[in-house]
Amino acid sequence: MATENGPTLRVVENLAWKLRRRQIVGSRATALETLLVLRQVITKSRFSNMEQLVTIIRGVGRRLVEAQPKEHSVGNTVRKVLHHIREEYHTAMKGAATETYSGFTISKFVLLGQPRKQTVVPKTESKGTLKENDPDDPDAFARSLKPVLMEAIQDVLDELETVYDNVSKNAQNHIHSDEIILTLGMSKTVESFLISAAHHRNYTVMVLETAPSYGGRGMAKTLSTAGISTFLVPDSSLYGLMSRVNKVLLGAHAILANGGMFAITGSLLAATAAHAHSTPVVVCAGQFKLTPLWNLYHEYGALDFGDPNQVLGFEEDGLVDKVDVVNPFYDYVPPNLVDAFVTNDGDHPPSSIYRLIKETYDDEDNEL
Amino acid sequence: MAPKTASGKEKLIDDEDEVLQAVILADSFDKRFRPLTIGKPRCLLPICNAPLLDWTFESLALAGVQEIFVICRSHAEQVEAAIRESKWSRPGSGIKIVPIMTAKETFSAGDAMRDVYTRGLVTSDFVLVMGDLVSNIRIDEVVRVHKERRRTNKDAIMTIVVKESGAAHRTRPLGESSVFVLDAESSECLHYEPVSAHPPTKMTRIPREVLEAHPEIEIRNDLIDCSIDVCSVEVPSLFQDNFDYEDIRRDFLHGVLTSDLLMKNIYCYVAQDGYAARVRDTKSYDAISKDILSRWTFPLVPDDNHPSGHVYRHARGNKYMPADNSVTLARTAKIGNNTLIGASTKILEGAQITGSVIGRNCVIGAGTIVEGSYIFDGTVVGPQCVVRRSIIGAGVTIKEKTRIEKGCLVGDSVVVGPLAVLDSFERLSRKRVSEEDEEEEDEDEDDEDDEDEDEEEDDDDDEEEESDEEEEEESDEEEEEVDSEIEEIEANPVATSSILGKEANAIVWPRGPSEEADEDEIIAFRNQRVRRLGDDGSDAELSDEGSESSSDDDEDSDEESSEEYDSQGESDVPEVVMPTGTMQESEFKYEVAQSLERAFAEGHSVDNAAVELKTLRMASNVPLSHVRQAVISAIVEDINIVDGAQPQRKEIARVIGRWGELIDKIGGVDAVETVLMLQMHCASSERLPLFGQILAELYQKDIVEEDDIRAWYALPAAKGVGAEKTVENVKRCWAVGARMIEQFDEQESESESE
Repeated sequence: MATENGPTLRVVENLAWKLRRRQIVGSRATALETLLVLRQVITKSRFSNMEQLVTIIRGVGRRLVEAQPKEHSVGNTVRKVLHHIREEYHTAMKGAATETYSGFTISKFVLLGQPRKQTVVPKTESKGTLKENDPDDPDAFARSLKPVLMEAIQDVLDELETVYDNVSKNAQNHIHSDEIILTLGMSKTVESFLISAAHHRNYTVMVLETAPSYGGRGMAKTLSTAGISTFLVPDSSLYGLMSRVNKVLLGAHAILANGGMFAITGSLLAATAAHAHSTPVVVCAGQFKLTPLWNLYHEYGALDFGDPNQVLGFEEDGLVDKVDVVNPFYDYVPPNLVDAFVTNDGDHPPSSIYRLIKETYDDEDNEL
Repeated sequence: MAPKTASGKEKLIDDEDEVLQAVILADSFDKRFRPLTIGKPRCLLPICNAPLLDWTFESLALAGVQEIFVICRSHAEQVEAAIRESKWSRPGSGIKIVPIMTAKETFSAGDAMRDVYTRGLVTSDFVLVMGDLVSNIRIDEVVRVHKERRRTNKDAIMTIVVKESGAAHRTRPLGESSVFVLDAESSECLHYEPVSAHPPTKMTRIPREVLEAHPEIEIRNDLIDCSIDVCSVEVPSLFQDNFDYEDIRRDFLHGVLTSDLLMKNIYCYVAQDGYAARVRDTKSYDAISKDILSRWTFPLVPDDNHPSGHVYRHARGNKYMPADNSVTLARTAKIGNNTLIGASTKILEGAQITGSVIGRNCVIGAGTIVEGSYIFDGTVVGPQCVVRRSIIGAGVTIKEKTRIEKGCLVGDSVVVGPLAVLDSFERLSRKRVSEEDEEEEDEDEDDEDDEDEDEEEDDDDDEEEESDEEEEEESDEEEEEVDSEIEEIEANPVATSSILGKEANAIVWPRGPSEEADEDEIIAFRNQRVRRLGDDGSDAELSDEGSESSSDDDEDSDEESSEEYDSQGESDVPEVVMPTGTMQESEFKYEVAQSLERAFAEGHSVDNAAVELKTLRMASNVPLSHVRQAVISAIVEDINIVDGAQPQRKEIARVIGRWGELIDKIGGVDAVETVLMLQMHCASSERLPLFGQILAELYQKDIVEEDDIRAWYALPAAKGVGAEKTVENVKRCWAVGARMIEQFDEQESESESE
C-alpha cells in the first residue's frame, strides 16, 4: 500500500467504502468491481520484482476484504488474479516447458479432456528477456511484464463475463423432459441455466416466493416470460410439494472448501426437505464463488443479518420493544445436503470442491 | 445485502454533475444531556461506541453527499479536532467536510441558518440535518423528488423527511412529537402543530383555509420527525429576512405555512423504508441505541459499517463482541441479549450484562449487574454493584456495592462509592478541583464552554438547573457560567436521599426547578421529565396534578377526536378563531382606511393594494372578517352620490369594476359574508339607497353569485336579528334582496318556460 500513489489509493478506498455501505452487493458485481480496481492498480503501480507486485495486490486485497468480509467473491477474485499472475510470471521466466501439471487437474478429469483456457495460451514473446531488480532500469521488469499481466486479468474478466453461458452449457444433461424442478430466490445463474435447458427440454418449474426478499416473484416472471411453465408457490408449501419434485436447483453466494455453501435464506429449509425425500439438490454457481474457507466452527454472524424492517414493520410500535427479530440474509447449507455443484469449470460433488479450490488458487494466498 | 441498495451506484454517478451539499447543525442548543455534556459537545457523545457525529456523517455518506459543512458552536475546537482526526479527512473518503465555527452569540438553529446565509456556504439545494442523526434513509432519493418538484413548482422550498412509526413507538420523542397535516395526494405539508407532554396537548386547530383548498387531507400523529430537511437556497435567506425565527419547526415551518405573503410550499417525504431518528434526549438515546443493536439501522450496524471503524463480531441474540478477541470475559460472566462490548474491556466473574453498551477499556467487577445501561470508555465498575437504565460517562469509577437506579446520569471522571446508593434520575458531576489545581485545570476549561443558554427563548428546551441568576449572566463569559453553575450547585447542597459514599468526588445536581423559578421553567421542567432515560411516567414522587401519566393511547385518541370535532366546528362557523390582536381594532380600521384612500387616490394596482392589506393584517393580527369589513366600507364610501339613476349606475360600475376584485384578494373568499357586510355598512351609511345597485353590480362582476345572495337572504342576521339602531335600514336592504331573488326566480321560470 505504501508504494501506491494517490489516485490508485483513491480507487481502492472508494470501492472499500461502497462495499462497507452495501452500495455494491452480489457476488458477481463485487467480483467485477474488484477486478477493475485491480487492473487499475497494476497499471499504475511501480514495482521492480515479483515480490513487490504480489505485496501490492495483496495489500489491496486485504483492504477490500476487511471492508466487507461477507462478500467472499472479492477475496476470491484477488486470489485468482494472484494465481494467474504467478502463472504468467513463471511462463515468462522459464518458458512454456514448465507447464507440467496441466494434465492432471480434477476439472480436466471431470470434463474429460476439455482443455482449460489459460493452459493453452503460450506466452512466448517475453521469454527469457525478463530481468528482475535491474539496478540501471528499475522499471524494466514492470514494463516487460505489464502487457502479460493485463492479458491475465482480461482472462479472469472474460471468465466472469461468460460465466452464465458456461454454467448453463450442460443444462440439458441435468434437466430431463417432464421433470418438476423446484428453485427459490433470484439467481441469474439458475435463471440462465433453466432457460438454456428449456431450449431442449419441456419441463415445469416451481419457484418459492422466498420471503422476506421475495426474489422468487421476479424469478417466476422471467421464467414464464421465457416460455417455461412456471408456478409461483408460497414458502409454506415447500415441504408438501417436495414429494412431487424431481430436483431442487439452488444458487449460491459462496461455495466453501468443505463442500458447504452460503445461499439465500430458505435454501437450508429446501435442502433439508429435499434430503428427507431423497430429492437431488443441484447448485449452479460460477467458479469465482469458490472460497477457501472451511466453516468448521460455524459463525453466527456469517449469515449476514439484515434489517428487521422486512420482517416486522417499524410502525408496529407495541412489538418493536418486546420482540427481537432476526432477518438472516443467507443460510449455511452443509455439504451433506448438496448432491452436485454445476460450475463453469465442470460438475463436481461437494467432496471434491477442496481439490478444485487448490487448483484455482495458490495456497499461500488463502490468508491475504 | 438487500437488493434495494443495488441501484445506489447509478444514482451516485448521476449526482456527480452537481455536488450534493449538506449542512449539519452540530449543536443541540439545549442542555438535556447535562452533566455529560459539560466537557464535550453532545455530538461527540458516543452512541454504540462511536461519536454521534460519525453516525451522522455515515448517514449522509450513504446518501451520496459529497460536501458537508458542520456548524459548530459549543466546544467547536473539539468538534474540529474530531473531524480532523477522523477517517473522513483521509484521502479517498470521497467527502469534503468543512467545520464552520460560528459565533458564540448563535443561540438557536435560526441563528445558525443566518450564519449559513451570511457566509454564502450553499450554492444549490442542500440537505439540512442535526449533528445527532442516525439514519439509513436514501436521502438522495428525497433530493431527487425535491428537485423534480422544484422543476414544476418554484415555491416548493423544502422537503421534510418523516418516518412512519406507531404513535407510541419507543423512538418517537415523547413530548417533542408533532402533528402533521398533509395533503393526501401531494403530501404537501399544510399545517404543523407541535405536541408537548406538559401541558398535554389535547387538541390541534386546523385552519379553515386548509380544509377549503384541499379535498382530502391526512392528519398524522404517527410520524417521527427526523429533522432531515432538503432545502432550497432560499431557505437560509428566509431566515435572514425573518430575524425572529429560532426553531426550524416551531418558527420557520409554522411561519412559512401561516404566511399569506410568502406563498411558499413545504412538502413532506413520508419514508416507508429505512430508519431515521435523532438523539434528542436521554430517552431517545436509549431507544436509538436499542434500534442500532437490533439492526434497524442496517447496514449501519456495529458488525458491518461501524462509523468509528471498530470491528465487532455479531453473535446470537444481537450480542456484539470485538473481533480482535481483546475482551476478557470470565467464565461465569453472563452476557445477555442486545449487548455491545468495546475492545479491551474486562468482565469479571459472575457479572451480568443485559441490553447495555459497554465502552472500551472498561472493567465490570465481579458479581456486578448492568442492565439497560450505557457505560462510556474507561469506566471502572467495582464488584457487587447494580447499574440500571443509566448513562455513565467516561473515566468514571464506581466503587464496590454501589446501587445506581434507573435514569441516573453520571458525568465524566466522577468517583462514587463505596456503598453508594443513587436514587432514580439522579445526576452527578465531578466537584471542581481545589484551588492549587486550578492552574492546570484552566487549560481544560478554556475550551469548555457551555452547551447553551438560549433556553429562555425556547421554553420547551429549558432545563431544570437553570436559575434566574444564571439568566442574568447570560452575556458573560461562558466558562464562568459553567463555573458559576457548578459553584451554585456546590453552594446549595441539594437535599437528597442518595448516598454518595465516602470516597466520592461528586456533587448532586438539583432535580427540580429552583424555588424562585418562574412558571415557564416549571412547565419546561415537567415537559422535560418525560424525555429522560427510564421515565415511564410513573415515578409517584414527581407526578402531580395534570401530569401526563396517562397512557399514550388515551392521549392520542383524545387528540384525534378533538381534532375531528374542531375541524367540523370550524367549517360550520364562518369566523376563524384567532388570537386577540396587539393593535387596537379601531387603529387597524383607521390604517386600512388610510391605505385604501391612498390606493384609490394614487391609482395603485389591485395586487399591490392587496399585499399592503395583508401586511397590515399580519402586523395587527386581526381576523380576516375585519379586513373584509374595512375594505367593503372603504369601497362603498368611495362611490360618489350623483343625481340621476343612469350616472349613478355608471359611477358604481366604475368603482366596483376597478376595486371589486380586492374584496376577494385579501386572503379568503367568502361571498356570503361580503354581502352581509355590505348590507350592514349600507344600513348605517348615507349610501343606503345604493345597496341594491351595488349588489347588482357585484353580481354582474361575478364577485357574488346567485347562490350567495340566496344564502345571505336566508341568514337571520340579514333580516335584522341582532341589529338594534339600524334595524329599519337593515330590513330595507333585506327587502331589496328579496326583490332581487324574485327577479332571479322569474328569470329562471322564464328560461324554463322557453
